[in-house]
Amino acid sequence: MKNIQSTTKKDSYKKFNGLDGSHPFQKILPEGFVGYKARTRRGGKVRYFNFDLAVQMGLIPKDHNFELDKELEKKILDTFAIIIINEFDIENDKKFPEKEIRSGTFMATRYLQLQHKDKKGRASGDGRSVWNGQVRHQGKTWDVSSCGTGATKLSPATAKYEKFFESGDPSISYGCGYAEIDEGIAQALFSEVFYQNEVQTERTLAVIEFEKGYAINIRAHQNLLRPSHFFMYLKQNEIEPLKDLVDFYIEGQRQNKHWESCPKGSGKYEFFLNELAKTFGYTASVFENEYIFCWLDWDGDNILMDGGIIDYGSIRQFGMFHSEYRYDDDDRFSTSILEQRDKARYIVQTFIQLIDYIQSGEKKNINDFKKHKVLDVFDDSFENEKNENILFKMGFSKKESNYLIKNELKLTKEFRKVFSYFERAKSKKGVIKVADGISVDAIFCMRDILRTLPKLLITRKEKITDSEFIEILKSNYATKEDCEINAYRSKMIKLYQDLYWKLIEKSAKHSRQSFEKHILSLSMRASVVNKMERVTGDSISIIVEKLLKERNKSSVGEIYKLIKDFAEIQNFNPSEKPKLQKEVKGLVKQFFEIVKEHREGL
Amino acid sequence: MKLVFYSGGHDFENHLLDTNLLKLATKNPQVTYIPSCSYLCTEDFRDFVEQYGKHQIHNIINFPIDVPFTDILKEEVLKSDIIHLSGGNTYYFLKHLRKTGMINELKQFVKRGGILTGLSAGAIIMTKSIETAGFPEFDKDENDDNIKNLKGMGFVNFEFFPHYRNSKRYDKEIVEYSKSTERPLYACPDGSGIVVDNEMIQFVGKVYCFHHGKKFIVK
Repeated sequence: MKNIQSTTKKDSYKKFNGLDGSHPFQKILPEGFVGYKARTRRGGKVRYFNFDLAVQMGLIPKDHNFELDKELEKKILDTFAIIIINEFDIENDKKFPEKEIRSGTFMATRYLQLQHKDKKGRASGDGRSVWNGQVRHQGKTWDVSSCGTGATKLSPATAKYEKFFESGDPSISYGCGYAEIDEGIAQALFSEVFYQNEVQTERTLAVIEFEKGYAINIRAHQNLLRPSHFFMYLKQNEIEPLKDLVDFYIEGQRQNKHWESCPKGSGKYEFFLNELAKTFGYTASVFENEYIFCWLDWDGDNILMDGGIIDYGSIRQFGMFHSEYRYDDDDRFSTSILEQRDKARYIVQTFIQLIDYIQSGEKKNINDFKKHKVLDVFDDSFENEKNENILFKMGFSKKESNYLIKNELKLTKEFRKVFSYFERAKSKKGVIKVADGISVDAIFCMRDILRTLPKLLITRKEKITDSEFIEILKSNYATKEDCEINAYRSKMIKLYQDLYWKLIEKSAKHSRQSFEKHILSLSMRASVVNKMERVTGDSISIIVEKLLKERNKSSVGEIYKLIKDFAEIQNFNPSEKPKLQKEVKGLVKQFFEIVKEHREGL
Repeated sequence: MKLVFYSGGHDFENHLLDTNLLKLATKNPQVTYIPSCSYLCTEDFRDFVEQYGKHQIHNIINFPIDVPFTDILKEEVLKSDIIHLSGGNTYYFLKHLRKTGMINELKQFVKRGGILTGLSAGAIIMTKSIETAGFPEFDKDENDDNIKNLKGMGFVNFEFFPHYRNSKRYDKEIVEYSKSTERPLYACPDGSGIVVDNEMIQFVGKVYCFHHGKKFIVK
């Protein structure tokens, strides 16, 4: 009986076996990666495992409980606890026991990165990651990669110092090829929150901790290719591999049933461009609407081809529209939230250039595509999402929002404009230094007015005064001077309320509901969408510290449930019912308090 | 003084209590819902709105007190005709009612003629002591916030025990407790409750009384 159970369990984890480094990319683009042999890395302990994601990927059975049994732990460690045998090891003739060397070849992919001097991607790419491979389940393919598996020759350190580094070399921190446990847990937390709110993102499958707080952080997504994988070939004028990569990507999208209507012939390239323009327009809008700081730049790094977030190193979500925040990356400052749109648009423009190059065989100047019609698709997608989002934040349902966009677009846009005036208002203190960069404080918390104004309309049935409006809106960042009500601001307050009122009236009339009933339903939805307790980058850092202190006291299943519960609390969809325990308890309660305290920050 | 004590249960079980409550109020009253905790309160608020919607009441706002709020909204809340204190963790709720000063504001609200209703934890807080939240062992609120001062709002001279089940398990601990207090303890199964209209007290549904170690059926 014992043997039968053991065999059954082994069978249920057999999909892990496919994660041996092999990936179809290797056959399509043999020059697109550096292949590494890998060996077992001892002393690892699984600290986090995403049971829900593992079920989706078919790695564990659907009815698996949220506990890590010995068999599963062994499987995770056998699959992912690896370290590459890199150029330093070979140069120094390091010997490793044969039985510890894996049979497969693991790839560190090459892609463009602006921090590399060469600017053409000849020496850049996965500096401390390798791809574990691909799994297919229920018609979907998942890419899996691990961060912290040793120093590759594509790291910025190797490029800068023109030498190979030993994995874990303490003299070179970022270039040492290791990742840390806090990065892994922060990424797991943040990505699960975004996933709950339907923001495209890679997700953390597992975190394995080693000595000194080092870790291997394993992430998965249906496709881990970034625009920068493509742009590298464009920069190097390598038309053949470029075409192969585009075709490979399109085929993957087809197989994953994302692009089922994509034509087979050359029409596929037009389809590809249109889909990308829609995706990046939508994504740039979501980032702006949800105050997500994701460092987009011309290299197309830090983002996936489907607009998903990758690499959480500099990812933040602000509590307010701190649109002047810039991350300080030692020798350069990042883009700001407001610049993200232009950067995303430029990525699409680069793809237009790239497809034209594939089709014509001639690489034209990128400026030739400044007015390309596909950029209109990007602009429309961006605008549509902006309009839908403002109505969503006001509390309108999808049906009501569709009606208003179709019939009251002008009114919606006017409201957006006046909303933006308050959202973008900045402190008179000017530029200030923050923990990891610079910023100019936003002074008004829009979520507060969106949540409170409908309540006051229910009770008063009339507009509120200018000073009340500012009192509700002002954040802890606002000084007395910032809150001054001059003639223009007074005019904007009046306009905000007039337009707000009008939009509700129009929607109520169309829904054949009393104003009273309509504003009540709006107020209920707006309370969820604009919840006071929304996570920020600051709060994530503090929560991660708490979670790390907990890791020796709690099982992997408990840590998973904590993160899952936390992400559920952060679900801002008013149509969904969070699946949670009735009462907030223990650590989740503490997380909740931390989020409340840091709700306006960076 | 107008008060309504709800034990709990589904909206259809509380229909009679709601009807009695609305007899105390003006037509189309303004109602405020104060949740015991902002965590997940929108779900419970949705149920509350549905419950009162059946009585054609739509002027309802949700007012969590364990998150920052402005005086502007608080003033509107205190102008309500009915304020409802929700169920939840009694200790946590009391802590925040005190911390925000709402406990005194609500006392003044009742004095001015406002109708205060409470369900489960909310109802317990309206009495002199919240000790009934601490038993029976198998169904008590956790005092995670370590609240030592267990004084409630003290509107009535009885104690309230919600979600009561007529069983030996419950009776054993309630009888024991009733020996330690001079006040009668009214234990209400879900769907039943108590309406207080100044000097008049009305029991709705089945209500049990525990006093000096004895159990009686009130209604």
